[in-house]
Amino acid sequence: MKLKIAQRYLAASALVAIAATVVLGLFITPPDAVQGNLARLVYVHPAVAWVAYLAYGVTTLASSLYLWRPTRSLRWDRLASSSAEVGVVFTALTLITGSIWGRPAWGVWWTWDARLTTTAILLVLYLGYLALRAVPMPADKRAKRSAIAALFAFIDVPIVHESVVWWRTLHQGATVASLGMNAKIHGIMAWTMLLGFVAFTLAYCALVVFRYRIAQGEDSLRERQISQWQSERLAQSQSDADRVSELLDNANSKSNVKMV
Amino acid sequence: MKEGDRTPLTQDRERDRLSEQQEVSDLLNDRAIFEPPLPKRAKRRRALKIWSPFVVLALALGFLLVRGLGNALVYFRTVDETLSMEATLGTSTFRLEGVVVPQSVTTNNQGGVDFQVSGVDGRRISVIDSANPPQLFQANLPVVLVGYLSHGTFYSNQIMVKHSSSYIAAHPSRVASLGGKKL
Repeated sequence: MKLKIAQRYLAASALVAIAATVVLGLFITPPDAVQGNLARLVYVHPAVAWVAYLAYGVTTLASSLYLWRPTRSLRWDRLASSSAEVGVVFTALTLITGSIWGRPAWGVWWTWDARLTTTAILLVLYLGYLALRAVPMPADKRAKRSAIAALFAFIDVPIVHESVVWWRTLHQGATVASLGMNAKIHGIMAWTMLLGFVAFTLAYCALVVFRYRIAQGEDSLRERQISQWQSERLAQSQSDADRVSELLDNANSKSNVKMV
Repeated sequence: MKEGDRTPLTQDRERDRLSEQQEVSDLLNDRAIFEPPLPKRAKRRRALKIWSPFVVLALALGFLLVRGLGNALVYFRTVDETLSMEATLGTSTFRLEGVVVPQSVTTNNQGGVDFQVSGVDGRRISVIDSANPPQLFQANLPVVLVGYLSHGTFYSNQIMVKHSSSYIAAHPSRVASLGGKKL
């Protein structure tokens, strides 16, 4: 119930924040000196990429908590998978918005530079994580295996972020999250960008809570099905036993009659 | 009740109860014990269904690693590197990075542009481009060109603009209000 309320508040505030970002980003902020109106994608694309990193960070943290015996609980596994699913959606959105921005700005939809390639690898790694989760196996085994896979997949996240520093790329360097934390964006453009980060983070939280509740519902439905099946089987075995006793009684009475 | 006092029927029920408990505990662990044993063909089909996404993803990962990282590690050569390696480059295709020299850009009869790119220390390479330059192509911006070097001239068939990560308002003193009117 608490989660349902939290989800409502998060979704509502995410919608308001996204609407405010759209208004500020499209109508209020000035065009960029070099990129003109193309720069308006800066209010969406980096925020979406940040959410993908955040989602995988949460998946890694939840997976670690599952793997650590004192905190082992299927709740962490549920959170890890919910966050990874949302992360995959946001990674795909990162690639799509980047491509939409790249075509007019760079002149190409796609190029094999380190940032783009490692991001595509990130998407494939987490699709692999989700595919692993879809393999039929006991819940505890699935949770353990996917938690280990999540820890391995996360190695790519810092590589993606640092790729523009470590290698020569067509993709520009970080605008905000650089080592010196000196933001290369100013005034209302910077505030709108920040609002975009807040808006998409709220959307992420709402989606994760929503997905977590679905996972919770799926688990409780499975448990209900098992207990229903158990009571059906018990009733069946009871009626079988009654039938056997009845047959034995009949056989006994018949033999008694014969003896008489 | 002692062990010896149990009738065969009671013992059977006790055994059933224990096996029932085991089944339930297996089920709670999500073990699909109610599934009847599958015939070989169905087993193979099921394994194929489970593992085929992994095969596809492994192939995709392999493709990305080979195709992507092979290119990505040395994504482009700078003007200075290109000039120092001129003798060994031949006519192999590679990516060249440099800043578009102001007042060097002219349109050519191939539908592209001729211009010069400069490196960090000011050395220049002339470029003959046969493709439409992208929207942001302009002087003083770094570009990445795809093509080959021949007799000191770079023949390009693709221009990619490498814009910076700085965002500065085009008219900082004139911020547009809602509806496009200037304040």
